[in-house]
Amino acid sequence: MTEEVKNDGQRSSAFVVSPQKRKMQKLAKNAGETLLLGIASFVAIVVLFIFYFVAVDAIPYFQLRGFTEFFTSTGWYPAGEPGEFGALAIIYGSAMVTFGSALLAVPMGIAAAVCLSDILPFSVRQYAKPIIEMLAAIPSVAFGFFALVILAPLLQSNGGPLLMWTWWVLAAPFLLLAVIVAADLLSARFAREENRRKMALLLQSLFGILAVLVLYVVGTKLNAIEIITGTNALNVSIILSFMALPTIVSVAEDALQSVGRELREGSYALGATRAETLLKTVLPAASSGILAAVILGIMRALGETMVVWMASGNSSHIPDPWFNYLEAVRTLTATIAGDMGEADQVTGSARYHVLFAMGLLLLVISFFSNLVSERIVVRQRKILSGQ
Amino acid sequence: MQMTAEHKESKATGPATATRDIYIPSERVAVSGGGTPHVVAKDFSIYYGDFEAVKKVNAEILSKYVTAIIGPSGCGKSTFLRAINRMNDLIPSCHTSGILQFDGEDIYGKLTDEVLLRKKIGMVFQKPNPFPKSIFDNIAYGPRLHGMTDKKQLEEIVERSLRKAALWDEVSDRLERNALGLSGGQQQRLCVARTLAVEPEILLLDEPTSALDPKATAKIEDLIQELRGSYTIMIVTHNMQQASRVSDYTMFFYEGVLVEYAQTAQLFTNPKDRMTEDYITGRFS
Amino acid sequence: MNLGTRKILDNSFTAVGMGSIVVMALALLVVLTPIVYNGVGAVFFTGTIEHRTMLYKEYGRGDSKTIEAQSATADRYRGEAYRMLSGFEAEMEGMTPEASREYRSKYAPVRAAMSSLLGPLPGDPQPMLTRFQYGQTRWEKAEEKLHDILYEKKWDYSDPTVMAKEFYVPRAEAFAGTKLAPLFGYVDKHLADMMQPQFTFYWGFFTDRSLDAHIFGGIWPEIQGTFFLAIGAMLFAFPLGVIAAVYFTEYAKEGFFTSILRSANSTLAGVPSIVFGLFGLAFFINTMKVSESKSVLAGSLTLAIMILPTIIRAAEEAILSVPKTYKEASLGLGSTKWNTIATVILPAALPGIITGGIISLGRAAGETAPIIFTAAVSVGSAIGIADVFSSPTPALSWNIYNLASEHEMASEIRHVQYGMVLSLVSIVLLLNLSAILLRAKISQKLKG
Ligand SMILES: Nc1ncnc2c1ncn2[C@@H]1O[C@H](COP(=O)(O)OP(=O)(O)O)[C@@H](O)[C@H]1O
Ligand SMILES: [Mg+2]
Repeated sequence: MTEEVKNDGQRSSAFVVSPQKRKMQKLAKNAGETLLLGIASFVAIVVLFIFYFVAVDAIPYFQLRGFTEFFTSTGWYPAGEPGEFGALAIIYGSAMVTFGSALLAVPMGIAAAVCLSDILPFSVRQYAKPIIEMLAAIPSVAFGFFALVILAPLLQSNGGPLLMWTWWVLAAPFLLLAVIVAADLLSARFAREENRRKMALLLQSLFGILAVLVLYVVGTKLNAIEIITGTNALNVSIILSFMALPTIVSVAEDALQSVGRELREGSYALGATRAETLLKTVLPAASSGILAAVILGIMRALGETMVVWMASGNSSHIPDPWFNYLEAVRTLTATIAGDMGEADQVTGSARYHVLFAMGLLLLVISFFSNLVSERIVVRQRKILSGQ
Repeated sequence: MQMTAEHKESKATGPATATRDIYIPSERVAVSGGGTPHVVAKDFSIYYGDFEAVKKVNAEILSKYVTAIIGPSGCGKSTFLRAINRMNDLIPSCHTSGILQFDGEDIYGKLTDEVLLRKKIGMVFQKPNPFPKSIFDNIAYGPRLHGMTDKKQLEEIVERSLRKAALWDEVSDRLERNALGLSGGQQQRLCVARTLAVEPEILLLDEPTSALDPKATAKIEDLIQELRGSYTIMIVTHNMQQASRVSDYTMFFYEGVLVEYAQTAQLFTNPKDRMTEDYITGRFS
Repeated sequence: MNLGTRKILDNSFTAVGMGSIVVMALALLVVLTPIVYNGVGAVFFTGTIEHRTMLYKEYGRGDSKTIEAQSATADRYRGEAYRMLSGFEAEMEGMTPEASREYRSKYAPVRAAMSSLLGPLPGDPQPMLTRFQYGQTRWEKAEEKLHDILYEKKWDYSDPTVMAKEFYVPRAEAFAGTKLAPLFGYVDKHLADMMQPQFTFYWGFFTDRSLDAHIFGGIWPEIQGTFFLAIGAMLFAFPLGVIAAVYFTEYAKEGFFTSILRSANSTLAGVPSIVFGLFGLAFFINTMKVSESKSVLAGSLTLAIMILPTIIRAAEEAILSVPKTYKEASLGLGSTKWNTIATVILPAALPGIITGGIISLGRAAGETAPIIFTAAVSVGSAIGIADVFSSPTPALSWNIYNLASEHEMASEIRHVQYGMVLSLVSIVLLLNLSAILLRAKISQKLKG
């Protein structure tokens, strides 16, 4: 046994140290950990600072002008004498392009996520992933440039035909499917066993003619549309949907992956097709994770600056009719970016502070969206791990 | 070693009695200077949160001998083994009660420096876990940690450790290669060599062969025989043949309780406890 | 539903999924193709003698003998055109006032177009702005100007229900019978002789300073500014992020406080980039006064807090993916916790951490919104490394916006814009590509 008698008379073997040394060790360890904690807390401090400093510059605006004008008026003349600071049309513009991009990106994103997690073989998936990563990596200003220099002139010169072709390509397959399914369902319901085939055929041809009619009529209507300005809500919505897609796909795919194999196998074992398994079993099980993906994707679109600044037309008004995506709009982010250049010379004015008020609005929305999506993800993880 | 009354009554027939009267199987040789209590547990319990994974163990592990720990999976073998060099500190919910001593000093004492402790008590894990570095750097990792920088000395230690671990002949010409390129058995012996390089007194082996094929297993068992007498060795195994082949003493755990602790030959041929008998005759897994 | 229909639905479901991925790939292709095609055109193009002269005079580059020889040839052909112009000007002097006035108003755009094509006309005073000192430097631009000379653009308002349509009328008709009439045919025929087109590889596009707000020259100040900003941001964010990740993975005890810290991290990740810009302005510049006004430092700091969450997440993931056994082995050998982290865990996690770092670097290089108020200026020369604490800088991302949206001659310098976009996209995608490759290599290496 390796024991030695120390000066202080305490017995001590190789691994026992003197109280002083132990104390020092503890102290050093605590000091080190505190330092680490300090650095890790940096992020939290930054978040607090962001809220504080944006709010501090936003509050003077509301003190000067109150809330009513900002949220209810559409008059935006910050440079006027006296200025008008109605942000309603701008908030509406933000909502509009965000909604438009979500309309395009959400179904596509979920479909792509399902495809990646359940349909594509691994070898193909390997190539699909970098595509998504590249799409996510392209700087927003490059997208904005594309929207402004290529897409906008194209929409302006050939908007009608472009819309028509898109309509045909997208709507034709779906209508065809709807015809088949509707005919099948109706014949199964109303015809007797032996007549079903004939009935289905009849209904199919009937609905088919109807569908072609719809396609044609809507198509010609779209073809006749003249787009006055290529920098409009539609342009921006399309580009923003490209930018939101990668987020939606990757988060939704994670959610789908976290749904176990057992669930899928259980469904297949009952004779369900892949689509049925995915739609009825997997997607519902992953629904909260997918919801989180959608929220994050939408936030990406809402918070985007450069694309909307360059290609939305920056016209502060509510389109007429209100759902007209072919008109120019103006968003919160673009307003902040565009007006600060002129406003920062008059630091302290309502004109300066109103931009911070807009920033605060964005910040609060993003904060709560994040909170919600995080809660959702945590909840799903708990449910899936069976707690 | 003083024996308390409590000690005698404890369920485990600790080698407290055996200390003085070491049973030596015919093919085994007593080791010189061995047989003193190296690790001593008194009412030692280990908890994960509220769950008592190891329950009031009283036992003495004798120096320089090989002690095997057997028992059904989940009975607390690893937990007990890892407690000895405070590897359980990594698990936040884990805490202990009672006394566990090494060389007469509290392992869980206030003044214990767990880093020094682990230097004295080395551990080899179930799955070979070499660092993704060269073979040389793997072995030299420990000595370097403890302040050795001289290249010559390091080379010496590396060679000595590899020889002790019976790996030298196989790898002497490729010490600079990545250790992950070795076979599983070689990796495990490398891990033993790496542990030996810090010159520990106790070697803890937690199912060191469960991830290996029979040939590699045999080599590890040979290695344990080689090291017997130089180190106090504790080996957790779920393989009873292995326990009977390599160990001098065997502990049988069941649901956290040290049911029986005796000389290996005795425990396997003439178990005192019904539960032990059932287990070694394969009544339950 | 009968089985056939179910099968059809199943297949169409698959088709929708695949279609979405194809759409994404197409989107990528549609966005990148014109950018690459036109961007390459900023460097490889058919340049005119004006380009070579400009390079020689402004950047001292090129072979003076060849340029002089070509200039001489070009001037010979130009001389003929100039004579026609001056001949017509003299002719107008002798006309009746009414006729003279009418011709003058028609002649002015021709003269302007000629001057734009060939540079200052003989007898004109030397223009102050560099942009007016040279003619068209690129052949395709010269052809556009030729079109302007030959045709007059008019608008057709005949159908009030649709937008007016543009159409072109040859100018030659308006000048029929005057001394200017032959000019149009002449210019059309001898454009190449006057401009001396030649395939040009203008590598200086990446290394030259810009001239007269990017009308001529290269984009070096922007490239350098982008690197300064991105690397500056990394200098702050990378060490902080890695240390924070070490804390989260190795030291943090799960609890209320840790969950707050984690929430803070994801909140920060979700903050819109323009809000970072506002914060940078309000905090770093107006409150901390790290610099008088915009500066690289303020921009880097702003970008740093923007990329911090990404770096932390990537580093956390990389550290968590280090097998636990390494840690056990190291601790089992009597290593301290800190030593284990420094010598085993971080080295093993390093490739993953670097991957995350590279991707963040790309993100910092590509972002615009945070630097609008904190660091970016539209025109400016490359700044010295010592000026980063006090001077703002041009940067690719900001100048793409600026040149495309706010430049007074935006449509004249599309090639520069495309060149910038291509440079930025290449930088970002190359960084990402190297990250992807690095990751692939790691996973291969871990397999053994
Ligand atoms: N990290 C842990 N947290 C909570 N319980 C644990 C942990 N590790 C092991 N246990 C529990 O402690 C008991 C003993 O485990 P262990 O020592 O690993 O068993 P053995 O090695 O004998 O198979 C088991 O019931 C196991 O579930
Ligand atoms: Mg175990």
